[in-house]
Amino acid sequence: MTRLGQIVSELEKGDIPLEKAVELYGEGVKLSAECRKQLDSAQIKITEDDGKAPSEE
Amino acid sequence: MPVITVTQINRYIGSILKNDRNIQGIMVRGEISNYVKHFRSGHVYFTLKDSESAIKAVMFANSAARLKFAPEDGMAVIVSGSIGVYERDGAYQLYVNDIIPEGAGAQGAALEQLKRKLQKEGIFDTAHKRPIPAMPKKIGAVTSLSGAAVRDIINVLSRRYPLGEVYAVNALVQGEGAPESVCRGILRAEAAGCDVIIVGRGGGSSEDLSAFNTEKVAYAIYNCKVPVISAVGHETDFTIADLAADLRAPTPSAAAELAAPDISMLYEKIGILERRYEKAALAVLDRSTDRFVALNARLAAQSPENRLKLTGEKLSALNKRRDAAFLRYMDRLERQLGEKAARLDSLSPLKVLSRGYSLVYKEDSLLSSSESLKKGDKVKITFGSGGAEAEITDKW
Repeated sequence: MTRLGQIVSELEKGDIPLEKAVELYGEGVKLSAECRKQLDSAQIKITEDDGKAPSEE
Repeated sequence: MPVITVTQINRYIGSILKNDRNIQGIMVRGEISNYVKHFRSGHVYFTLKDSESAIKAVMFANSAARLKFAPEDGMAVIVSGSIGVYERDGAYQLYVNDIIPEGAGAQGAALEQLKRKLQKEGIFDTAHKRPIPAMPKKIGAVTSLSGAAVRDIINVLSRRYPLGEVYAVNALVQGEGAPESVCRGILRAEAAGCDVIIVGRGGGSSEDLSAFNTEKVAYAIYNCKVPVISAVGHETDFTIADLAADLRAPTPSAAAELAAPDISMLYEKIGILERRYEKAALAVLDRSTDRFVALNARLAAQSPENRLKLTGEKLSALNKRRDAAFLRYMDRLERQLGEKAARLDSLSPLKVLSRGYSLVYKEDSLLSSSESLKKGDKVKITFGSGGAEAEITDKW
């Protein structure tokens, strides 16, 4: 997501060669798809800690 | 001896009182009487008394508005404030900034004192409050794992923010050893790499919340390296843990909502980023196309075809100039010819004849002398107009 933001601001600077823009755009498309996939498949992970001091165990 | 005014004496006494630390920032136990709330200003006036003595007390509107209960005559209370002089009446009185019902017991006063101490030590400073991370990876929950609070937190986070991990640390939230257990829980969550920690419990009576009103827990929260959200389910009163935390939530569910963004917002954010890079890439493409068109035009201008055309144009212009020059030359020649012809015409023999001269021919040859003529020769004479035949009768 951070990288996606970077890509956007780099593209928005505008004064970049076309090849670079195409490359960034491609990366953006890939990244946003990845982000969406991550969100779609996100599954919360829960870890429990009994909180006991080592001497109590 | 100098004479001074009443105002001067009252002001002087006032300054003495103000500088006496024994009567500034004190807590006074007593019973409220003659309680009056000024309806317009909101200031509160009353007398605080015990079995032997009484003192006038005033609480200004801004402090009075913060009271969580309504004081009334006969109520046993502990009042915090300072002694000062009311210059107009030459009376000293107690300027009150807080009233705690004595019903809450000495415990309430002790709590108040602890709050003040921690306040002085900077535990509640807003400058120390840290922002909650925008997208936490691991969210700590320090609370009783058998209580409702942890279920609420997990429910909210699995619905709103399934990206994260919940690290739930069991802690005693009431009874003996609870403060130590909560402190240990905070350390455990911090050590486990949580980037935000929720500390709390579901609601309870004020005695049940006492673990969250301890100095130990306040310091554990203050010293925690990652932001802490307090979730001591108690809407009305702020516990010390609430004041020490980086963010206070009224309930464990609310704390979970504050700890992480909603996944729908993340989808939205991606959508916004997608639209932005689409637009930016198109803009770059547009600019490149413009540049290409411009370069292409410049290139075309330099092509052999175009240069041939240009040369052709130059050539035909030269041709035109040449033709025009030729025509002008011909005109001049014609004009000159005309002038010469006119001059020639004036020299023509016919013109001479018209002036009275005549031509004489003998057998078709023009005579310029009489030498070949004999008497009796026939000659032809041409005049300016007309002619005649004549016979020579004499010669010389």
